[in-house]
Amino acid sequence: MALKERPKPFLLPEYCKGCGRCLDACAKDCITLSDQINPLTGLVPVELDLANCNACGLCMDACPEPYGLRPAHEGEIQDFELEDPAKLFGVKPCDAPEPVDLPSEVLPLPRTEPLVIKGTYASALGALLAGCRHVYGYPITPSTEGAELMAKFLPKLDGTFIQAVSEVAAVNMMYGTAGAGLPTMTFTSSPGFSLMLEGVSYMIGAELPGVFVDVMRGGPGLGNIAPEQSDIKLACHGLGHGNTQAITLAPSTPQEMLDLTMLAFELSFKYRNPVILLGDGYLGQMTGKVQLPDAMLKPGIPKWAVYGDAMHRKNLISSIFLTETDLEAHNVHLNAKYEAMKVEARAETFLCDDAEVVLIACNTPARTAKGAVQELRHQGIKAGLFRPITLWPFPVEDLKAAIHGAQRIVVVEASAGQLEDEVRLALSKAGVREFPEIESVRRMGGVLPQQNEIMTRVLGRKEVLA
Amino acid sequence: MSKASVIYDKFERHSHGEGLKGHATHYCPGCGHGLAHKFLAEAIDNLGIQDRTVAVSPVGCSVFLYYYFDVGNTQAAHGRAPVVALGHKFANPDSVVISYQGDGDLASIGLAETVATAQLGAPITVIFINNAIYGMTGGQMAPTTLMGQTSSTSPSGRNEYNGQPMKMAELIAGLDGPVYVERVALFDAKQRIKAKKAIQKALQLQVEGKGYSFIEVLAECPTHLKMSPEDTEKWVKECMEPVYPLGVKKDLTVEPWFKRNPPCFKGEKLLSLAGATTERPERFCQGFPTHLDLNDISLKLAGSGGDGAQTAAMLIARAAISEGFDATHIPSYGPESRGGTSYADVHVAETEVLNPGSPDPQVLLAFNAPSLAKFGPTVRKGGYVIYDSSVVTEAPVLDPSIKVFPVPFTGIATDLGKAVVKNIVALGALQAATGIFPKDTMLTAIRVALKDKCALIPLNEEAFAWGIKSVESLAN
Repeated sequence: MALKERPKPFLLPEYCKGCGRCLDACAKDCITLSDQINPLTGLVPVELDLANCNACGLCMDACPEPYGLRPAHEGEIQDFELEDPAKLFGVKPCDAPEPVDLPSEVLPLPRTEPLVIKGTYASALGALLAGCRHVYGYPITPSTEGAELMAKFLPKLDGTFIQAVSEVAAVNMMYGTAGAGLPTMTFTSSPGFSLMLEGVSYMIGAELPGVFVDVMRGGPGLGNIAPEQSDIKLACHGLGHGNTQAITLAPSTPQEMLDLTMLAFELSFKYRNPVILLGDGYLGQMTGKVQLPDAMLKPGIPKWAVYGDAMHRKNLISSIFLTETDLEAHNVHLNAKYEAMKVEARAETFLCDDAEVVLIACNTPARTAKGAVQELRHQGIKAGLFRPITLWPFPVEDLKAAIHGAQRIVVVEASAGQLEDEVRLALSKAGVREFPEIESVRRMGGVLPQQNEIMTRVLGRKEVLA
Repeated sequence: MSKASVIYDKFERHSHGEGLKGHATHYCPGCGHGLAHKFLAEAIDNLGIQDRTVAVSPVGCSVFLYYYFDVGNTQAAHGRAPVVALGHKFANPDSVVISYQGDGDLASIGLAETVATAQLGAPITVIFINNAIYGMTGGQMAPTTLMGQTSSTSPSGRNEYNGQPMKMAELIAGLDGPVYVERVALFDAKQRIKAKKAIQKALQLQVEGKGYSFIEVLAECPTHLKMSPEDTEKWVKECMEPVYPLGVKKDLTVEPWFKRNPPCFKGEKLLSLAGATTERPERFCQGFPTHLDLNDISLKLAGSGGDGAQTAAMLIARAAISEGFDATHIPSYGPESRGGTSYADVHVAETEVLNPGSPDPQVLLAFNAPSLAKFGPTVRKGGYVIYDSSVVTEAPVLDPSIKVFPVPFTGIATDLGKAVVKNIVALGALQAATGIFPKDTMLTAIRVALKDKCALIPLNEEAFAWGIKSVESLAN
């Protein structure tokens, strides 16, 4: 008879927390709370007296513990106390397969004529060429055109663009897609980037790739929508809470907006870490000549991903390490990764070999500075430009070479010294104690340093500060 | 019943599976999470979706859901689980994504994500554990804490200054996005059966691609309610249920709609979207226009929004690049969406534009008097100023070395029947005045720009020709 075939419950007292949900569930009053504290758990388990048990199973339904009240299997019920729990429950933690990397494919492209496009547009194309088909964003001037382009292009490529409820939501959609192992990115601007930093910290902690294009604008607070290099500090030293670093790229032309966006995806997957691309409002809006690359990428799925299929079932994306020593070990691992990222330092030097005056600038101010270098050379002054392309890691070896013969260093920036701080920190960490006093050309609030201001500083040795 | 097969055989992630932790949950005695986990696990087993399942567990007691479930697991920040779930769902539309959240997470810090994701309606399944208290942080007031209920942050009971409890199931059911919303409980065998069914149905709807589902589970937290497990069950039934009535709040019959093609990675498709072509444009220049500058010409185009200064600037940049030079164009606008100032800095360089700004241009194209007054004095000695004499009545006083060309852009364009082509008249005038490129270079750029609006080409060609003619007649 079916009734008799139903199993009665059995319980290892160690796995009972004594919540008593089963007491109510049992119509036959077979279950009572023990009056003994279990020495292993410190809890008071229930006791079973199955004399009247009709194997209705309701007690097992009521038990919240997966290894609590369970059907008694033939033989086990008499001698379970003699059994090793490992034997009863098995020691095999998981039969999920061992995931392997599904590699990405490089697909060749024909050589095309240069495009004449804006910086944000170039960056969007770079992302698409790098295989990104999942873009999440929230409109914010002056980066919105990136999101608008993606909203237009992605449906035609069967990709996904979602306008999130906020930047906080956007970065967490990235977290999800990156967790599934796919390339993802967002366009944002300074106030939006501030909001995303929580998510950036989680992505770094959980070791997720993702590209953040931050078209920087004037701050603090609402500030304005004009270009300012306002987030260098944030990207290099303030990526949310905890021990966080990310490669930070600073393009200065629409071509670099494309090239460095593609590079950002590559580095992001190489190191399983977000990559920040800092543009400025001018660069985002600037139209220029952009040559497309000779290949594009079809992304694979990395072995660590939680893609939602059989192969990746055993994976976990997480930034939580409850045990202190585990979290310390994780940070040691992250630090080793940050150290390894240092080989990615990149810079451009322009006429620095014999330069007596070395200008240091990035983004749009670097182009203004380049114009100034040429003009200074016309006037017989040996000027050069050092342009960091990665702001973190700072290309300090290139910098040391560039300022080797310099008598003067002039940092040209659209911020209150955020770039200069990076220069000083890099030199200090590299143990460079002897270098010329750093002079500044600084504008803020959306005002970019002008070529004549650089000339004034260099020729007139006059302070140019807003 | 038997342990669901989706529950790990050993909890290796729970303190490395050492001792009892290898087979016991971290939940307190009487906690509702254990049962909710169990029902979720059984539903996953019953639907045969273990391999496809991604469980998202945000901050809260259930952040450790990944200790127990042998599925793809993602741990999320406090409140962000539903959008993390969306990121997973869109990355792999075949995955079955579960966002398992507590009340602080879902109804407080993640309220924006919760509501927006529900309204978006993409098929994910949200399991919401409502126990009327913050568990993990230690018994603080939750958005779902009942009126009068004490907590460590409402020590004398929740009162009107703390606001009313959030009724999430009703709120979510009021949105258009979800297809299925139900509130269930765990306090007796009957409720547990309903809870189990509801959770399975919610997952089933996702598997079928029908939409977003939301199950609110009234759960017990004896530890922070400071009651025995038994009393807590009673409390949920007697105190919580009247405030949070159980039952189906929304259950739509819909056809499966969530069907996504795999993303396209065809090079030709991407190139065509980008407007890239392998066709080399015709070139007309013999060399760089060194009569204007040896290697870098700086231009400024200035007017009001609607004058077409940006389009003209873009055409100059495109013309230059099609000739193999480098060029840049930087637009700048006033804060108005329409009709404000509209300036463009353009550079044309033989090899590389070093500084793309035009603070002291060699060529100024001005569409109105304020622009001419503002930028006229910045033009370099020996430079060129071309302005719209239809709207600028008084000729500016500029350095005598500057060549000035008053051309009635607006008048000519109006005579042609389309005032909007005044920027093309202006381009013709700029062409004739400066000789920056052969005129075919500009005409080609104009034709390429209008390739999708071919009917407009003759009018624009005519406007361009009139611009040239006007400058030539000035010379005569």
